[in-house]
Amino acid sequence: MMDWLQAHPMTVVGLVLWAVGVLWLMPGRQAGSTRPKIPGLLFTAAGLFAFCLSCGKPQTQLADEVMFWVFAVSALLCGVLMITAKNPVYAALWFALATLATCGLFLLQSAPFLAAATIIVYAGAVIVTFLFVIMLAQQSGAAGYDQKSGQSVMATISAFVLLGAVAMTLQQEKLEIGVPIVVAKAKGASDEVAPAQPNMSAMMQASGSGAPAGGPTPPPDAPEEKPAVPGNLLSSADPEHAVGDLKGLGRSLFSDYLFAVELAGTLLLVASIGAIALAPRREQGAL
Amino acid sequence: MTPEDLRFLLVGAGLFILGAIGFLTRRNLILMVLSAELMMHGVSMTLVTFGRIHQTQEGQIFTIFTLTVAACEAGLALALVLSLYRKSHSLDINLWSELREPDMPAPVQDAPARIDDGSGSYGDTPKLTPAGIAPKDPPRTKSSAGASSART
Repeated sequence: MMDWLQAHPMTVVGLVLWAVGVLWLMPGRQAGSTRPKIPGLLFTAAGLFAFCLSCGKPQTQLADEVMFWVFAVSALLCGVLMITAKNPVYAALWFALATLATCGLFLLQSAPFLAAATIIVYAGAVIVTFLFVIMLAQQSGAAGYDQKSGQSVMATISAFVLLGAVAMTLQQEKLEIGVPIVVAKAKGASDEVAPAQPNMSAMMQASGSGAPAGGPTPPPDAPEEKPAVPGNLLSSADPEHAVGDLKGLGRSLFSDYLFAVELAGTLLLVASIGAIALAPRREQGAL
Repeated sequence: MTPEDLRFLLVGAGLFILGAIGFLTRRNLILMVLSAELMMHGVSMTLVTFGRIHQTQEGQIFTIFTLTVAACEAGLALALVLSLYRKSHSLDINLWSELREPDMPAPVQDAPARIDDGSGSYGDTPKLTPAGIAPKDPPRTKSSAGASSART
């Protein structure tokens, strides 16, 4: 831990400045006590800058670099402003901005479909519903419970200690995940090479059907050459489609995860029925 | 794991802990739900980054399912919030501290709770409609409907 503290002082400085900024911006324990916002914003911005600066300098192009900085800093800054806003309407709008910045980060990570879906679902549906409910349930003037925050010091300190632990773990570990799996080639193998199994269903199909006896197929205990592509335990990489490719995403979604898609549709139906059943009726009394 | 993946993971962790701070400190019901959504953004970012590290589609597919569940959760949570608001005419979470377990100590009240109608009791708490097949032998009256259905 001390090694990490000495090796990454910028991370610690950034986290401390960021925590001080969040604490400054947070509504106080007494209602009505207002602090000027400018020092808190400066602390938060400086902490965010140091935190992002300590994340390493990857060899990427300048455009990627600029877009990452814009989206990451705006996402985190909008998150800070959201949780410290005294007006729930402003909090919802800051959350919308944080969502947009997160979608920008999704785009940088080659997930264009996910970015579009998140914008449609969150900015198009969730935020509008939140704003409707805030308008319905908002009292005239600022409510007392919005002007105060409970246990803000303890919560902020413990949360930033957690973030520091996560940063320490990530920066200390040299996790060699994502590197190509070492090709396990056994001695005396035939020259037949098992085709690269593109997904889980193909693997299950291959293991389920078994190798028919005879013919050109190798016997069941014949050593196979594993595909030298990165992957995880569940599936290997799809060599035909890049990650985030809409065609590959849809094919995987509607072949490997078809049952889960049907289940998600059922969940949406049940949730809509439940929301209609839970929502107060007009004849039981106006809101 | 390249440094580029590392910084995306750190941004995801930052979004998560910001949502956690908001959930722990704010006392508005709607703001707590919003903070939970911000935590979910952090998790989505982490999942997408994991998917890119492994070069598989699973990260984005799991995120799509997370998005579905988040939409359901937002709808249900807002219906609950409206229902709670209709009973207490306030969005203060402290007003609902009576819902704790009976042997738990009372939470620290850092501010006097404000109830507009002046009564601290919740007379019109929701009643569940008796479900299942109605029993045949006893004649169903309004008072014994719940008890008889509970017996079956």
